[in-house]
Amino acid sequence: MTGDGCTYCEDDVLAYVAGELAAEADLEMSVHLGDCVECRESAADFKVLEPIISECCRDEAIRWHTFASPFGRMFVAATSQGVARLTWRALDEEEFLEWVGEQHPGRPLIRDPEALAEVEREVAEYFRGERTEFDMDVDLGVLGEFERGVLEELTEAIRFGQVIPYSELAKRIGKPKAARAVGNAVGANPVPIVVPCHRVVRLDGSLGGYGGGIEYKERLLEIEGREDLLKVG
Amino acid sequence: MTPVSAHAGETDRAGEAGIVVPDRLERWIEAYGPELCRHLTRMLPSEADADDLLQEVWVRAMRKPPESGRGSNVRAWLYRVATNVALDRLATEGRRCCALVGRRLALAPEPASAPDEVLGSLSPAARFRVREKVAALPPKQREAVWLRWVEGRDYEAIAARLECSQASARANVYNGMKRLRVELLDVWNEENGR
Repeated sequence: MTGDGCTYCEDDVLAYVAGELAAEADLEMSVHLGDCVECRESAADFKVLEPIISECCRDEAIRWHTFASPFGRMFVAATSQGVARLTWRALDEEEFLEWVGEQHPGRPLIRDPEALAEVEREVAEYFRGERTEFDMDVDLGVLGEFERGVLEELTEAIRFGQVIPYSELAKRIGKPKAARAVGNAVGANPVPIVVPCHRVVRLDGSLGGYGGGIEYKERLLEIEGREDLLKVG
Repeated sequence: MTPVSAHAGETDRAGEAGIVVPDRLERWIEAYGPELCRHLTRMLPSEADADDLLQEVWVRAMRKPPESGRGSNVRAWLYRVATNVALDRLATEGRRCCALVGRRLALAPEPASAPDEVLGSLSPAARFRVREKVAALPPKQREAVWLRWVEGRDYEAIAARLECSQASARANVYNGMKRLRVELLDVWNEENGR
């Protein structure tokens, strides 16, 4: 109940502002707003609040999706800039959303299979050996500048079927002594497969580590026709 | 019920019937002009505004005429257009809209005449605060408000996403909106020592 003798509640006002009332009820509310100051004020607030919310929040959502893959259930999360997280290591939705929430605190998480259908398609094509590079955008904004630089260089320079030692990658970004830091940056990759951290190996040709599990690194290199590397490792 | 856009208003009710012929408008002015003027006078603090706003009503009416010619619908629709015009004026001229977005009136001596102008002038700090308040809603309300007003989904889609009934989806949107209104006004009032 809003004002004196007013029989409407805020929900009625909201329904009116949202254009959800039938013509007759709509007319009644229009007339009522001429009489009732409180309803009028809430109507004015709600009417402007809707576009304010939409204007302020449009780019904020993290969209996510999950789909089956040869590695098991794949989870993907994306900002308006691009894919921010891809993983097959989450136990379930809950765990995945917890990780994403930690990475992007306070941002709404929206399950959006349609928006991420393209990501699913590209990943499936890659696993089938029908795709050698990805068209999707990635958002590495959660990383520091150094890590981002390493992963960008890696994505740019090391193509399908190629590998590069950690030390070589360090040289490429102009920090030849930073092989260990490069290793850490590669390990922090939030978008494996797409950002090809599986293409970074040891100088002696052994595979080195892999955040997603070494057996998956082997399988990715296999997809890329590098079985030769697996024998050494 | 068809889904409505984020900018709900008279356009929801209007079809694509084309341009209103002037004599149709004249009939409307004759039939509904006086009562709409009284309605606007009741809506606004200053009577002088009513005449001005009535002109705006006819402009909007011509721009987006209603789809059906049934008398009662036209009347309801014209009332809706007039009410929207008045609410826009109230929201942007009074301190209410400024309060919602945390803009100090002293910094904006020329009030914006349309909500669009207010939106365009939102400061990064105000945007941040709105986002922060939306983010702080209870999860279901947050997602419902989000889907409704940012994504423009209808209640059917929201219910599917939240795995609840449409009535519950609507309740979550409404409760979220009510909470946001109170909190945004509160923040501003606190800042201004009220």
